[in-house]
Amino acid sequence: MTTKLMGQKVQRVEDQRFLRGKGRYVDDVAVGTDVLHAAVLRSPHAHARIVDIDVSDVLDLEGVHAVWTYDDLTGPMAEPLPLLIPHPALTHGRTQYALARDEVNYMGEAIAFVVADDRYVAEDAVGRIRVDYELLPPVVGIPAARSAERLVHEDVPGNVGARMEQNVGDAKAAIQQAPHQLALDLTIERSSCQPMEGRGTVARWDPDQDRLQAWTSTQTSTGVRAAIAVKLELDLGQVDVITPDVGGGFGVKINHPWPEELLVPLAARTLGRTVKYTEDRREHFISTAHERGQVQHIEVGFDDDGRLLGLDVEFWHDHGAYTPYGLIVPIITSTQLLGPYKPQSYRVVFESLYTNTVMVTPYRGAGRPQGCFAMERTMDAIAAYLGKDRTAVRAINFIQPDEFPYDHGLVFQDGRELEYDSGDYPASLEKIKALVGWDEFPAFQEEMAAQGRRVGIGLACYVEGTGVGPYEGAHVHIETSGKVKVATGLTTQGQGHATVFAQLVADELGCAFEDVEVVTGDTRRMAYAVGTFASRAAVMSGSAIHLAAKRAREKVLKIAADALEVDEKDLQIENGVVSVKGAPETSIDLGTISVLSNPLRYAFDEASKAATQFQVGDPGKPPVPEDEEPGLEGKDFYSPERATFASGIHAVIVETDPETAEIKILKYAVVHDCGNLINPMIVEGQIHGGVAQGVGGALYERMAYDESGQLLNASFMDFLIPYVTEVPDGIDIDHLETPSPLNPLGIKGAGEAGVIPSAAVFAAAIEDAEGLDHPGLAITAMPISPSELFALRAQHPPEESA
Amino acid sequence: MKISGSNVVDQPVDKVWDALLDPRVLVATIPGCERLEETGQHQYAMTVTAGVAAIKGTYSGSCSLSDLREREGLVMKLQGAGAPGTVDATVDVRFSEPAPGQTEISYEADAVVGGMVGGVGQRMLSSVSKRMAGEFFSNVGSAISAPPGVAASAEVAASASPSGAQVFTAPAKAGGISSQDDFIKGIVVGAGLVLLGVVAGSVFGRRR
Repeated sequence: MTTKLMGQKVQRVEDQRFLRGKGRYVDDVAVGTDVLHAAVLRSPHAHARIVDIDVSDVLDLEGVHAVWTYDDLTGPMAEPLPLLIPHPALTHGRTQYALARDEVNYMGEAIAFVVADDRYVAEDAVGRIRVDYELLPPVVGIPAARSAERLVHEDVPGNVGARMEQNVGDAKAAIQQAPHQLALDLTIERSSCQPMEGRGTVARWDPDQDRLQAWTSTQTSTGVRAAIAVKLELDLGQVDVITPDVGGGFGVKINHPWPEELLVPLAARTLGRTVKYTEDRREHFISTAHERGQVQHIEVGFDDDGRLLGLDVEFWHDHGAYTPYGLIVPIITSTQLLGPYKPQSYRVVFESLYTNTVMVTPYRGAGRPQGCFAMERTMDAIAAYLGKDRTAVRAINFIQPDEFPYDHGLVFQDGRELEYDSGDYPASLEKIKALVGWDEFPAFQEEMAAQGRRVGIGLACYVEGTGVGPYEGAHVHIETSGKVKVATGLTTQGQGHATVFAQLVADELGCAFEDVEVVTGDTRRMAYAVGTFASRAAVMSGSAIHLAAKRAREKVLKIAADALEVDEKDLQIENGVVSVKGAPETSIDLGTISVLSNPLRYAFDEASKAATQFQVGDPGKPPVPEDEEPGLEGKDFYSPERATFASGIHAVIVETDPETAEIKILKYAVVHDCGNLINPMIVEGQIHGGVAQGVGGALYERMAYDESGQLLNASFMDFLIPYVTEVPDGIDIDHLETPSPLNPLGIKGAGEAGVIPSAAVFAAAIEDAEGLDHPGLAITAMPISPSELFALRAQHPPEESA
Repeated sequence: MKISGSNVVDQPVDKVWDALLDPRVLVATIPGCERLEETGQHQYAMTVTAGVAAIKGTYSGSCSLSDLREREGLVMKLQGAGAPGTVDATVDVRFSEPAPGQTEISYEADAVVGGMVGGVGQRMLSSVSKRMAGEFFSNVGSAISAPPGVAASAEVAASASPSGAQVFTAPAKAGGISSQDDFIKGIVVGAGLVLLGVVAGSVFGRRR
């Protein structure tokens, strides 16, 4: 029996290419002198009326092929970009135009598009365009948006795009009647994904085929394809979108279509030339998307044990200038905030607000880090108030293992009920306590304090809805060579899909792992797909691939049984060979079965001879049986009822410098439950990456907007991303595997979890470290820098000097 | 953003006042100023080449002086735009005499720096603008102390523009302008490079 690959630490097949510089990204496509390059003029102002655009200095510039403004767009291209996810509560949704029409609403908004012989000429041309602006007062930050003294969009009263409320029971009454009450006001700032590869699009129009081919760095090639077809008034069948290697997405590339994703194809068709646009880093800062910014007000009522009797959460979500991605982020915050807990009543209400800043779309975690921050800060506050151990207050509120499936009575981001499928939170808590040394920590803290050192510990729990629908599909094709070609439509941004999906196929089909080749994100190979987001690739495409491989296996066995004249039940498949159980010499390999699956009239090589009409077939039967198709293929789709819920707990021990307030990580521990593991090494890689990004979000990264809406740190000189020196040396990981009942593999998503608890866990640990010397010091805003911690200390002087 | 600062020039207030209202002096003393066109009383259109870190370029814009209180103060409004970005500033300039024969020029500016120079060059803005302000005032000081005519008429070419307005072109600098120097010179400062300093300082000051 071949060893199952599911659950094995199989080396990533992608790494040879990536580590040797052989990755192939959008900018590597279409390299040559006949390619035209695009550049974009972007608004230098956060809020302004466009009085006039003068392109006369560009028109006769040598090497310029096109210069477009809004006035040059027609038909659907002149309409606003799509509002991708409409929602009844999004009463005032607004999206931008591909090129600004009359008004700009954030610094970085696209105004004009130039196509030239090369990027240098294109950029020079952009510099020659003169725009006359009438400046309008900008709305920057949540307080300014709420005060509504100025409006982002004149027709959006109060700057409120949406107000949404969900209730379970009567939380306000429950809080009033509860033995204890607390209120918290919290703030979390903006950050952004910053993938190494920014956005990029290449398009080529083929006049002979009347067909457009586009390569784009996206998390959804089928989504971009549909958008291009609609906007350029083409049939879906005239558009192919290919997503090659992607140098990171982290959420930002799920939003689509970006203006350039439409303008580049339009230019390719209009000019009859291949056109390329590659975003630079500054453009990524000012014209892509950000996330995280929220202000929260929490009221909670609880009993003497810390049991949540009523939880009332209000928050204000800064969604920037436009709402192309609807309310997904704040809906996730409002629902996933509950984590592993079961408050007896819950009310949540949010307002999603316009500001004159870059728009907000999901960034890894997608609203969960904010929700986790709110809930876990509340848990810590309750524990402090009652003088109880922080783990005890959490444990008493956990949903218990025998309570699954657990229905919260809320509607989740996919429009389905928020119903947890499985989990074991008490077991996770026991594991994290052991892993981080929770019970031993007070002694360590005391020992350190005696040496004048401040250390603190914190922990934070989360539950993450992963693998949301609607569906994914897969196609498995066994070639006559015996190689197995697998296609699934969602895209890959470095997760290792080619490895884990090949593991699943090899397991199901019995072929060699090395013989499986996986293609993702190519609409020519799989036209029906949704995309890579919400930690869904393994769950959705993994399940679909498993099902498609199963179908292929059924066909293999049917043909093999016919050829070997045995019963299907007596066959086994190992290493790409079908043999009779107990009589392995009676065998046939997958390649030959593939040959036999396609009855031929013509032979073109030795192998195909075997399938020609005088060699095979029962003269009394049609060569292709009824209900069968020629070829050895399997195709299937997976569409679950609802998301599957992964969970985990992070803990961190930090040390803060008594003088400089520098924050140092001493230990970071993760207990993670994403159901059955396909490849533990890849899951751990996801956790490592997530923790690194979380450290950045908790301690370093923020978007420094000034009051006029200028982003002051729009480069890696000033926007701090952690180096390896800032990320914990070792991350201790322990896995728990509670299988999901919702999919055939029992798996759950793992992509985002690493980043979800970061703000909460660091706030808790820093507060714990400071508590002895600065009583009452509470961390209510993240990220936190040493100077902010220093300022907080000054507000909470040590008792002896108070 | 609000920015403020001050510089002392070793010249009496009345001379400094006159110099700052003289476009021939301005075009010769504003770092990076290439061209100044009088579009009305105390109103100028101008071209300034300036660089902050790697972001350099030519800005065209306007400068107007208003609320003139002789030897006491004025308000300068500046607007500039170029490929690297934009600057819009209102600068309140005040003159005082800290010691006989000396003039202290203090300024308070409310400025918006937009585009690339604001987002990428901001960490350099402070030092660049301070240096420019210092350079400007020292240029003004030397222009005043130079023999009459040298700064004001001999080197500055004045001509009539097609509209009939006076156009002033900066003299060629002796020995040419080293690129490094040129670079550091002038940001958007129109006549009031002062404002520039302001801008820069403000941006820096806002970072927390």
